Amino acid sequence: MTIEEALAKLEQITQQLEGDDLGLEQAIALFDEGLGLAATVKHQLKEAKLKVEQVLEKTQDTFSLEPLDLP
Amino acid sequence: MNEERVYTVSELNRSAREVLEADFAEIWVKGEVSEMKRAASGHLYFTLKDESSEVNAVRFRSRTSALAPVLIEPGKMILALGKLTVYEPRGRYQFVASILQPLGEGVLQAAIEWLKARLKAEGLLDPAHKKPLPPFPRGIGVVTSPSGAALRDIRSVLERRWPIADLYLFPAAVQGENAPDDLVAALDRAGRFSNQARLLDVLILGRGGGSAEDLAPFSDERVARAVFACPIPIVSAVGHEIDFAISDFVADLRAPTPASAAELITPNQIELLELVASHIARAARALMARAARPSDRLRGLLRASFLRIPDRRIETLGQRFDGLVERLSRATARMFSVRADRLVHLENVLRLSDPHLPLRRGYSLTFLKGSEEALRSTSGMTPGVDIETQLGTGRLHSRVEEVMDE
Repeated sequence: MTIEEALAKLEQITQQLEGDDLGLEQAIALFDEGLGLAATVKHQLKEAKLKVEQVLEKTQDTFSLEPLDLP
Repeated sequence: MNEERVYTVSELNRSAREVLEADFAEIWVKGEVSEMKRAASGHLYFTLKDESSEVNAVRFRSRTSALAPVLIEPGKMILALGKLTVYEPRGRYQFVASILQPLGEGVLQAAIEWLKARLKAEGLLDPAHKKPLPPFPRGIGVVTSPSGAALRDIRSVLERRWPIADLYLFPAAVQGENAPDDLVAALDRAGRFSNQARLLDVLILGRGGGSAEDLAPFSDERVARAVFACPIPIVSAVGHEIDFAISDFVADLRAPTPASAAELITPNQIELLELVASHIARAARALMARAARPSDRLRGLLRASFLRIPDRRIETLGQRFDGLVERLSRATARMFSVRADRLVHLENVLRLSDPHLPLRRGYSLTFLKGSEEALRSTSGMTPGVDIETQLGTGRLHSRVEEVMDE
């Protein structure tokens, strides 16, 4: 799940919890899901490391990626 | 008579005008202003000359800026853009100037302004063509020099704000004679790469600061057209804040510097985590409000839930609820340590809004029989009054025997 999708889902859950008349069980389950989504977003960002690559084209329309080490 | 055509004078002048206007539609002329006359109509008539020739010129009122009479002054060298035409009633040809520049300075600027006007007329600058930028870009292409400051600046902003991105460099010379061709080739390559690999969400075209000549490739017409043709949303970031290039106007977004381009196209991960935290806080408040409804109703729900829970999952909702609060505290503490103050607040909200936690720990609530409001003091109490006490589980009905004030 992308961060974008996780955020959208989380927002939907918040709105559901705030607006809909849910059963307690259902509300707790939704909240649980929200916590899971929050953890996903946090995890993805924490693990992220910027990748820098150079796109080269050896022959027409044949691309290759080479890691670029910047000082 | 042979078959050769005989022109009337009017026909001759008209034909001459058509030929001249077609062949000299957009030309630059440089020369010295030798005389200038402002007609009652507001048009400026002047003569341009060099060592051996002169030509009549006019700047029509509709195009006359406040600056024009200052520029068109006898003795001044100017550079003018315009077209050649024939004033038919007199059979005199004249140069119709549209853009005027003092010669020796600002020539480049004039050429840029002219190109901009032309591209605008063609619709290349039209806001309707601007592509929207994706809010969460994963693939960010950069067309710039591998050794320039722009790439390093962009990288460090992305590392701080949005390290989840992948940065793809399309190397190109950003100044010098080959730069326009190089930039066009890199833009084209980025477009084809994107169509093939679908890895690019947005493209930054730019370079760090430099002289006007250094930045000129970004005002090259070919580069402008390549920017327009690019299938990916483009941010143009050329030089410093004060610098403008044609690519800025054709691109989908102009950024004052390469570093700010990187900021403009990415979310800030810190802000994003705060957004997540605020969602969780809102969700928690909503859940608490839901759970803290009048206790009889909650008890009813709990009872009803007990009946539905299978034996192998003997786990009361109450326990689950406790566990959830604990998990919420731990999870939020882990996730949002930066917002410790908010978290403390949130935890207080959680504790205070659940009346059952203190009850389970041995506290109790006392009501006057038939009243919904918990007693806070002995005032008004007398022996013999009926009271009810709410415990962690269950309720007691008692009668007051003695009232002891502190």
